Amino acid sequence: MTKTGLAKTGMIDFRDVNKWFGTLNVLKNITLSVEPREVVVVCGPSGSGKSTLIRCVNGLEAIKDGDLVVDGQRLGDPATNMTQLRTEIGFVFQSFNLYPHKTALENVTLAPIHVRKIPRAEAEKAGRELLAKVGLADKVNAYPAQLSGGQQQRVAIARCLGMRPKIMLFDEPTSALDPEMISEVLDVMVAVAEEGMTMMVVTHEMGFARKVAQRVVFMDAGAIVESGTPDEFFSHPKTDRSRAFLSKILRH
Amino acid sequence: MLENFSFRTIVEYLPLFGQGLITTVWLSALSFVGALIVGIVLCAMNLQRGWLFRVPAKAYIDAVRATPLLAQLYFLYFGLPRLGFVLPELVVGILALSLNSGAYIAEIIRAGILSIPRGQVEASVASGMTYVQRMRLVVLPQAFKVTIPPLLGQAIVLVKDSALLSLISVSELTRAGQLLASDRFMPAEGFLTIAAFYLLLYYGLKGLAGVSSRWLGTAGART
Repeated sequence: MTKTGLAKTGMIDFRDVNKWFGTLNVLKNITLSVEPREVVVVCGPSGSGKSTLIRCVNGLEAIKDGDLVVDGQRLGDPATNMTQLRTEIGFVFQSFNLYPHKTALENVTLAPIHVRKIPRAEAEKAGRELLAKVGLADKVNAYPAQLSGGQQQRVAIARCLGMRPKIMLFDEPTSALDPEMISEVLDVMVAVAEEGMTMMVVTHEMGFARKVAQRVVFMDAGAIVESGTPDEFFSHPKTDRSRAFLSKILRH
Repeated sequence: MLENFSFRTIVEYLPLFGQGLITTVWLSALSFVGALIVGIVLCAMNLQRGWLFRVPAKAYIDAVRATPLLAQLYFLYFGLPRLGFVLPELVVGILALSLNSGAYIAEIIRAGILSIPRGQVEASVASGMTYVQRMRLVVLPQAFKVTIPPLLGQAIVLVKDSALLSLISVSELTRAGQLLASDRFMPAEGFLTIAAFYLLLYYGLKGLAGVSSRWLGTAGART
C-alpha cells in the first residue's frame, strides 16, 4: 500500500483481511471502510464472523493477512502502540463485563484515572456526568450485581465514553437483555451516534439501524455478502442469503 | 477406664502444653507467610507463557505434591548438613513447611486467577490497560476474594502438618504430648490433650474463614 493510499483511508479500513481459527476461514477477504462519524451496523447469522470482525478492530483478535488501519495506524505494525490505540476505541460487550468489585462510578473512572492519567476528582466529576447522561445518576454507588442488565449495559457504555474515544464498537449489546430493557440501551446508543461518534455495531435491531446507521453490512460465512443503506438493505435485499436471513428475523 | 485417666497430670503438664501451643501457633504463622511468598512466586512463574520459568515451577509443584512431607522434612534435616548448610531444627522445620505449603498455595492462587472470567480481562485490555494494570486493578482484587477460603483451608492443613516437626525435636504441641507419654507413660492423656488443642486451633481458623467469607460476600458481590 502506498502512502497516498493511506492518506485516503477512513477511520477504520479493512483491506483484503483474512483470519483463520485453525483451518476455519472466519474472515474472508474483508474490504470495508468506515468514515469518521459514520455508523455501520453489521448483521448476519450466528457464526458469520461479525463479532470477530469488530474484535479485530481493537486487536482482541489478530488478523492473519491483509491490512487493517485504524485511526491512521496499521494493526500488527511494530510501530503501532496497541495499548495506546485501544484508549481511542470503546468496546461494548454482549455480556457487559463490568468489574463486579467496583461501583458504577468506579467502573467508569478506573481507566481514565489509571490509563489516561486524569486526576481523580476530575475523572469522578466526568464519570458522574456520564452516568447521569445514560440515566443512572442515582446508581453511581451501586455495584453491578445490584443493577439490572439494561442498567449494567448503560454503565458499560458510560465506561467507554469516559475514555473519550474516537471509535465505539458494540458487540451485540442488547442480545443478553430482557426485551423490556432493550430500548433503554438503544436510546443511549442513538444519543451517542447523534453526537457524531464513529461506530460499528453488531446487532439485529432494525429500528436502531434505520434510525442512525448510514450503512448496513450483511455477513455470512466470514464474508461480506451485501452492504447498503438501511432502507436498501431491509426493503430491497439483493441476495438470496440476505433475503433468507431477513425473513427469519422479521417474521415475528 | 476413666479412673485410670489422670486429669491431674494433664493440669500439671499444662504449662508445657501451653508452651507447645504457642510454638505451634507462631511457627505455623511464620511458615504460612513463607508459604505465601513461595506460592506467589511459583504461581507467577507458572503463569508465564515462556517455558523458562513455567517448566521449573511446574516440576517443583509436582515434586512437592508427589512426595510425603515427612520425606521432604528428613531430606532438609539430614540432607542439608551434608551439603554444608547447618541450620537450627526450628529453621529447617519452618523452611520445610513453607516450601511444602507453597506448592499447594501456588495452585490455589493460580486457580483463583484462572477463575476470573475471560470477559474481565478483555474489558480491561479493551480500555487500554497494560498487563500490570489489569492484574493489579481487575484480576487480582477479584482473585483474592475467591482465594481466601481455600487459603485458610491450607492454613489448617499446615497447622496439622507442623506436628511432624516433633520428629526433628522441635518443641511444639505434639512434642509436648510425646513428652507426657514418654515421661509418665501416659500416651492417652498426652495425645488426647494435644488433640483438644489442635481442635481449638482448627475452630479458630474455621471461624476466621467464616468471618472473611461473610465480609467478602458483602463487599461487591459478583454477578
